Amino acid sequence: MTPYALIYTAVLLGLFVLAGGSYGGFYSVGKLWTNAAFIRTGIACYLVAILLALAICLFTPLAALWKIFIVLSCLIYAAIPPVTWRYLAKLHRTPEESK
Amino acid sequence: MDIQDPGFWRAGAISTTAVMLVVLAILTIDSLQDIRAGGSHVPKYDVINQQIGYQYDWTRRMDVPVIGGQQLLFGKLYTEAEAHALMRKGKLVIQSRACMDCHTFFGNGAYYAPDLTKAWLDPAWQQIWMPMTAAKTREDAMVMFLMHPDRYPTWGREMPNLHLDESEAQAVVAYLKWMSAVDTNGFPANFGQTQSQQ
Amino acid sequence: MYRSQKLAVRYFVAAVALFGVMIIAGLLSALYYLHPSLLFDVFNFNMAKIFHIDTLVIWLLMGFMGAVYWFLPQELGREVEGIWLAEILFYVFCAAVAVVSVVFIFVQYGGSNEFSLWFINQGRKYVEAPRWAAVGIVVVVLTFVYNVVATCIKARRMTGILWVLVLDLIPLTLLYLDAFPALTNMSTDLYWWWWLVHMWVEGTWEVLIGCIMAWALMDVMGTSRRIVETWLYIEVMLVLGTGILGLGHHYFWIGTPQYWLSIGGFFSALEPLPLLGMVVHAIYDAGAHHMKTNNRPAFYWILAEAFGNFIGAGMFGFMMTLPQINLFSHGTQWTVSHGHFAFWGAYGCGVIAILYIAKQKISGVNFLDGRAWKWGFGLLNFGLIGMVGGLLIAGIAQAFYERAIGGSTLMAFMAGQENPWFVSGMYARMGFGLIFAAGYVVLVYDLLSAGKHAPKSAVKTQAP
Repeated sequence: MTPYALIYTAVLLGLFVLAGGSYGGFYSVGKLWTNAAFIRTGIACYLVAILLALAICLFTPLAALWKIFIVLSCLIYAAIPPVTWRYLAKLHRTPEESK
Repeated sequence: MDIQDPGFWRAGAISTTAVMLVVLAILTIDSLQDIRAGGSHVPKYDVINQQIGYQYDWTRRMDVPVIGGQQLLFGKLYTEAEAHALMRKGKLVIQSRACMDCHTFFGNGAYYAPDLTKAWLDPAWQQIWMPMTAAKTREDAMVMFLMHPDRYPTWGREMPNLHLDESEAQAVVAYLKWMSAVDTNGFPANFGQTQSQQ
Repeated sequence: MYRSQKLAVRYFVAAVALFGVMIIAGLLSALYYLHPSLLFDVFNFNMAKIFHIDTLVIWLLMGFMGAVYWFLPQELGREVEGIWLAEILFYVFCAAVAVVSVVFIFVQYGGSNEFSLWFINQGRKYVEAPRWAAVGIVVVVLTFVYNVVATCIKARRMTGILWVLVLDLIPLTLLYLDAFPALTNMSTDLYWWWWLVHMWVEGTWEVLIGCIMAWALMDVMGTSRRIVETWLYIEVMLVLGTGILGLGHHYFWIGTPQYWLSIGGFFSALEPLPLLGMVVHAIYDAGAHHMKTNNRPAFYWILAEAFGNFIGAGMFGFMMTLPQINLFSHGTQWTVSHGHFAFWGAYGCGVIAILYIAKQKISGVNFLDGRAWKWGFGLLNFGLIGMVGGLLIAGIAQAFYERAIGGSTLMAFMAGQENPWFVSGMYARMGFGLIFAAGYVVLVYDLLSAGKHAPKSAVKTQAP
């Protein structure tokens, strides 16, 4: 790994997680306030995460297995916010809750 | 399977933890074999009687220690037991003076002073301290420096005098020599490359 | 209030005081980087560093113990068994901390013998406290375990949270025994040392704070027990599922076999996934209970914990955890940046939230809010983000100039430390550190005065 590759790889990895987190954050706030603009911003963040994952695959000297790992976790990122949200909503809606 | 039942997740938590602990136990048994002095990654203590280098290995794609022919430390051939006793003392000096709260060993410790993983191989001993201390060998220069770091300052951030006597300083030097022969999976990378391209 | 809760308050006071010592020692350590001749040969960097990291461990531990002593009688509806012993040991604990501090200030280090390790300094990062003091900590923790278990048995009642807590206290105690050996072989020494440092911090402590936060959520937001317990199990599963083998990211470079590069890299790179779920959870909870919260500061500190954890552990960790990057970032200020953010997010914010919960009960107000806590919250978080930003810049510069270009030698180290990027990062850290310290002062002021002027509630008292 060259010195410059070290820096841009690390920065790309950090931004990738940040984009995934922003997606989760905006998506959840959008769900909470039933605000479509927030959800759309969240999805835009996710698209950025995809682009960053692509950039990591194309431009960094990481080993192939790590690149596959990044792609897979990018796919899992897509599912986490909606699945978690739905699960939480279900958990809070059960009869015990209304007491 | 009801994922809203806490019992489902309780079972999940217990089984996941158990599986991970079993895997960790197996890996630990294996690793401890490799890292005992004389294991595949960590040399015996009497490696201090030999020459130690650090070179890039193209098959493993990382820097690895290279153990060469005999190169005595302080002009003495140590038996395995003597070397072990010396290392014991060296480690006690390192702990009692809290070296790890300024320096790092294998990158662990504080970050105020240089990493000591490959300190034995540092070209600065030959380039700076041997002329400065007028010592004939690298190990003598190291001992003089360790005993009186205040007399041989190099830059703004100095090492304090921690009152090591000669035998303590020698034990630390031996310890550093042994440590430089540990296979650290290539850490640190390119050590000394800019100074001494060999 | 139960006697156990009164003891909890004492623990909280001690924790906040040690939090202050930690900040002072941290500022001092930061200052050495800018003025290396400061207190040279009088009180060297390593001693300030020892104070900084040891008080960190102790204030958080005291905060956790206080939190358990606070919630335990509430959970079981009875006084904690053997509380008199715990009360005595609190003072023993404080006295031991004081004696160790005096030794660290005036004696500092000893000769290369066992006596030093027993009575002066053990010199292993985080476990510098001499062995006699470590024995004392074992006794205190064992008493704590006895209190919890005996109270559960006497009450003849176990909740899910208590089961998790009791099971967690076993490794918490056992792992601490790792504070005693002084192995000659640095590789095996560090191998076990990481069991203590990583498994405590990223294993047992995570579970412990999970239990405490479960109680806190029920208290502050009125979440139902079934929900918090479900969530606690999920969290335990994810944290230990990734964290136990995540230990491997400390086994890249200490002489351990090469397979740790893949195992450690993989499991620690998984960590952002559960953390993302926790962010969603925090926002959901905020929405579901925002209107109902009766304790604004605790509520916001709990939220800060979720976000701090995601950014500090998730994002900052992911940047540097893959072996190819870690080869260069390991052991630089980059690590320091990640460490500060993750500790703050995972534990600091949580303990402060508990302090506010206790504060509300003690002052007996129905609704806790005000202006000062917002300043404390803002200054502490702003200061922390600034500090880790400065350290990140310094760390990247160090990895770049010292490690990747310079080849990690002494000369390369000096070149890295004198690089303008590095130096500016260190100045930024110092400046933001002062802001953080100002936030601490406001926090203490607010904790001492919060709720004073609010209307008292008529009923909120519980008789033991």
